[in-house]
Amino acid sequence: MAARRLGGSSWQQMSLLSRRWCLQAGSAGKREQNRYSSSSTTLEKTVENSEVTREEIVLPRRKTWDKLAVLQALASTVNRDPTAAHYMFQDDPFLMPRNTANSRLLSLSKESGRSAAKYIIKEFPQYFDKTTSEPNIPCLMPENLTPQIEGVSEAALKERIHLRRVKASVDLFDQLLQAGSPVSLETTNSLLDLLCFYGDGESAQEKQNEQKGDLEEPEENTSEQRSPKRQFQKSLNSSGFRWRENNNAERIFKIMPERNAHSYCTMIRGMVKHGAPAKAYDMYTDLLNERHKADVHTFNALIRAVPYLKEKFAERWALVKDFLNHMVQQEVQPNVLTFNAVLKTLRRCGGVGRGVSLSVIQEMTALDIEPSLATYEHLLHIFYRSVELQPSTIIAEILEEVEKRSFTPQDPDDANFFPTAMQACCDLKDIKLAYRLNKSMEKGDNWKFLDMDRLNAYWSKFFSLLCMMEQIDVVLKWYKEMTPSLFYPSTRSMFDLLQALDAANHLEVIPSVWEDIKQLGFSRKQDLLEELLSLMSREEHPEETQLAFAKCAEDIKAAHEQSGRDQAPLEWTGSALGHVVVLFSRAGRTQDAWNMMEHFQQINRIPTDQVMDEFLNCAKQTNCPDEAIKLVKLAASFGLPSTLKLKSRTEQEFELSEKQKNALESIQSDSDSSDSDSDSDRD
Amino acid sequence: MGRFGDSRVSPSLSPQVVSWSRSCAPPALGAHRDLHTTPVCFKTRAARVRVGKGDKPVTYEQAHAPHYIAHRKGWLSLHTGNLDGEAGAAERTVEDVFLRKFLYGTFPGCLANEVVLKRRANLLVICLVVLQNLAPSKLYFLIGYSETLLSHFYKCPVRLEVQTVPTKVIYKYL
Repeated sequence: MAARRLGGSSWQQMSLLSRRWCLQAGSAGKREQNRYSSSSTTLEKTVENSEVTREEIVLPRRKTWDKLAVLQALASTVNRDPTAAHYMFQDDPFLMPRNTANSRLLSLSKESGRSAAKYIIKEFPQYFDKTTSEPNIPCLMPENLTPQIEGVSEAALKERIHLRRVKASVDLFDQLLQAGSPVSLETTNSLLDLLCFYGDGESAQEKQNEQKGDLEEPEENTSEQRSPKRQFQKSLNSSGFRWRENNNAERIFKIMPERNAHSYCTMIRGMVKHGAPAKAYDMYTDLLNERHKADVHTFNALIRAVPYLKEKFAERWALVKDFLNHMVQQEVQPNVLTFNAVLKTLRRCGGVGRGVSLSVIQEMTALDIEPSLATYEHLLHIFYRSVELQPSTIIAEILEEVEKRSFTPQDPDDANFFPTAMQACCDLKDIKLAYRLNKSMEKGDNWKFLDMDRLNAYWSKFFSLLCMMEQIDVVLKWYKEMTPSLFYPSTRSMFDLLQALDAANHLEVIPSVWEDIKQLGFSRKQDLLEELLSLMSREEHPEETQLAFAKCAEDIKAAHEQSGRDQAPLEWTGSALGHVVVLFSRAGRTQDAWNMMEHFQQINRIPTDQVMDEFLNCAKQTNCPDEAIKLVKLAASFGLPSTLKLKSRTEQEFELSEKQKNALESIQSDSDSSDSDSDSDRD
Repeated sequence: MGRFGDSRVSPSLSPQVVSWSRSCAPPALGAHRDLHTTPVCFKTRAARVRVGKGDKPVTYEQAHAPHYIAHRKGWLSLHTGNLDGEAGAAERTVEDVFLRKFLYGTFPGCLANEVVLKRRANLLVICLVVLQNLAPSKLYFLIGYSETLLSHFYKCPVRLEVQTVPTKVIYKYL
């Protein structure tokens, strides 16, 4: 008895697992074997049997294995597993994400769990600081972030700067000045560095402390008014702090008794970072007047700020050339970031940029600087994203360069290369370039440049390109391999897939596509449902397919009627209802079709002639003259011109009893006597 | 729950006892039977669920007595501390007790079975079977939290591998 119970529950779980990604299972069964034994089909059959009768034990048939089965199974584990989700998720059907939004939610909740643990560790470091591991692992010890040195001294100031406490260090600096003790140039410079980096806002830790302080304050009106304002300010801070007039950094800069090149450079970089480019330019002219030399990072920042300083394209390029000449005069060596900044500015320079960018690349190679992925990304942007698209072969050359080696991250913009390149391939509608791009992404470390969002965007674009350009079996093969491990299809991708299936006349795959749509949680998207229904009902199909389509239609009907917890029920549209009726009729389900017909009045729509003809056909096949009469009554109540035709068809094709014939006659008299303008009520 | 204490009954106890033992003794003088008692160590009741009326659901783990370990059951905690020449068995046991209590409290009402702990070199792998009564995002929150906290506490990488079941898997009813 125990074994039977155990057998029952585990078979149910097996059937749950096999329901996932039906498209894969279906096509695997049809074509080449993923399983190497002989009895895969019987396995599915026994699952269904045991679901029906729980008390029987159905013994599966003995499996015979291929000679190479073990080796083949091992070989299939070596490459990427196409059915698994990303490594960060647990390998369990309940815990695997269904679509993009879900995967983001789950990864964020895991991350928030981690930060909750880190908060506990920070609050109670006394429980975590015993060193039981040998050698000591510093990253697993609690961090000591409270300043040790008390008192007003320069060493204390240095410590607070080191611990990134912006407000505390500014206060301490002011105290030191008031006390009259001078602060060395170096320390002042490092204070300026801190202020310019954080933009006079607070660093992340202090923000956390402030938030905690907000929560602990008693419930007063003032605190309640303050906290929403503070949150608003914080959102501004995170999005890009604005350099306020005469803030701490400027103030300290002004009261410095002596300044060296480093101070000017820091100020310039801070101003550019936090959105005050004009001031940065003024500061730069001050620096030149004082006959100091700027360093390479300052020049990079200034070049990046050029589009905000000048409006006209030619002027921008002239200013960039100016800066580069100054670099030469001051004997500052440019690096790859300099050239990337130049190209980034050239992106905003239109036609001038296009002409000049290639010579920039030549300059780079002359100086022996290896381009990074960001360089190529800027080039692609310059040549492929503008409105007047001139065909150019530069993308092929770029791909050649990228294929050769594996890149290391050098510039924050590196990560955008692959999505931009794939977008360019899509715009050019070139599938071979896309394949080459894929290959170069898999080489070496290049895959690390794609995080989850960019991965999704990249593969979605690739999939739409595939659907447009390739044969249907290639599309389906890629679909099987890419979902759900590499990307979760969006509604757009589903539309593309349906279009491809339509173009290849492969519409019998639609029921498994519908299963996947339900899995992804798109079963309430009105436009997707309409598309599905219209594709299914457009033509006649063989018997099996028709039955499968009718089942899909029933699912869609259930989706419409079920109203979720907070959602309003989906509205039926006339065309959708019509399609559902047609699908039911073609499968011979007269009663269901009639139920749907009755919905038409509820939504104030009129069924088309095709719909009514199909319904009549179905009624004839299943021999239900009552339904036919009801249909004629319905048509009469709508006041449709086709009522007469329907009536005559009913009389000719059906064998009617006396009562039915009388009923039919009475309808005629109703429709004859009513005015053509007025609506007639149902009787 | 022994009727006798955990010491040998010596003949020099209360006179009542002595006389009772004397009365059962064979008539030979000086020879008397002592009562031999053992420390209380109910090996016959350890880790066994007693048979009841047939309405008590019991998992596979609970249904099998300890003498079935290595025959029908596996171990719940796997480490090398008990091998010849290896040290640290007691520390591992204390860690296990803490981990089980911690996980029992962190996943309230969700654990479907005992936690399995596997130690491989420095890594501690905790295998849980969890019921599906929490939302997946909440479960991931607890998983991230436990992994980080336990890593910092024990100074070794800790990984949680979670499997979910809809209800507790009942083996039989006792």
